[in-house]
Amino acid sequence: MHDLYNFVTGPLAWAAFIVFIAGSLYRLINMLYLVNKKEKFIYTYMSFKYSFRSIFHWITPFATVNWQRHPVLTIVTFAFHICLIITPVFLLSHAILWDESWNISLWALPDGVADIMTLVVVGSCIFFLVRRLVLPEVQYVTSASDYVILAIVAAPFITGFIAYNQWINYQLFMILHIISGEIMLVAIPFTRLSHMLFSPFTRAYMGSEFGGVRNAKDW
Amino acid sequence: MKKAAVFIFAIVVVSAFLFVSAYSQEEMTFVDNSVFTKPERTPSIFRHDEHNEKAGIEECNECHHVYEDGKLLEDESSEDQRCSDCHELKSSGNTPALIKAYHTNCKGCHLKEKKGPIMCGECHLK
Repeated sequence: MHDLYNFVTGPLAWAAFIVFIAGSLYRLINMLYLVNKKEKFIYTYMSFKYSFRSIFHWITPFATVNWQRHPVLTIVTFAFHICLIITPVFLLSHAILWDESWNISLWALPDGVADIMTLVVVGSCIFFLVRRLVLPEVQYVTSASDYVILAIVAAPFITGFIAYNQWINYQLFMILHIISGEIMLVAIPFTRLSHMLFSPFTRAYMGSEFGGVRNAKDW
Repeated sequence: MKKAAVFIFAIVVVSAFLFVSAYSQEEMTFVDNSVFTKPERTPSIFRHDEHNEKAGIEECNECHHVYEDGKLLEDESSEDQRCSDCHELKSSGNTPALIKAYHTNCKGCHLKEKKGPIMCGECHLK
């Protein structure tokens, strides 16, 4: 168990973080390169004012017509994304590891709160899964990779929840938890999870085009 | 009859007292976590004598260390002190906080020796 633990928390963790960070930088730089090469004209109407106006509306619950039309989806998607980011970053056991490895002291969530936030993430994933299966307009734009991505995102939270509660086989689920987290990190730059990197840019582009060219709202 | 009752009561009280005082390091099963006001995790499981026998630890100061000015004093030992006498809840200077001190002392050695528990839930049982 020591050798396996040392491998997944050592070389494999380094590889996952390097691929995640370098891959993310590559995707962002490549995007800017392609814009400069092919669509330089968008700089004529890109504007900080319209960019942030659009971003601000879309990151505020119910501040867009689309959010208002789908209230349940809006609540689930906001709860999901907030818990998805906050829980792993401020989890007590993760904070302990940051401190032990890098001498970085982070504020940590109480375990009970993190437990609930984990269930919010897993519950949201089930909601998104059912939504993809049931709603025809979502089914139409769904491919197999969307289900894989959903599983990649849910896995670290499901395995983490089982490990934290020490159900079934603690050591096995800890190892699975670590590996599934690493798979998710690696998947971010190269799958549709890359909306984590690109969403501010797509939003800024839409906002600028609607604000500066069409003189319309994009929310 | 009354005298006998008092006598029996006295024996029960004294033996209970003896039992409690005998329940020291030899019987220790958990690390005392009473200094933590609101612990998030259960106290770490630890059977002192069983551990040392298994790990082949002869010297107290392999764990009960003494540091002065950031240097380990090889011949000094601190088993007559509580960990919290030196390690406060927050780190100060070179002295790590109590939680980190426990983790580094236990897990650090386990990682080095490639033996013993290293993941949270292996010591902090639910």
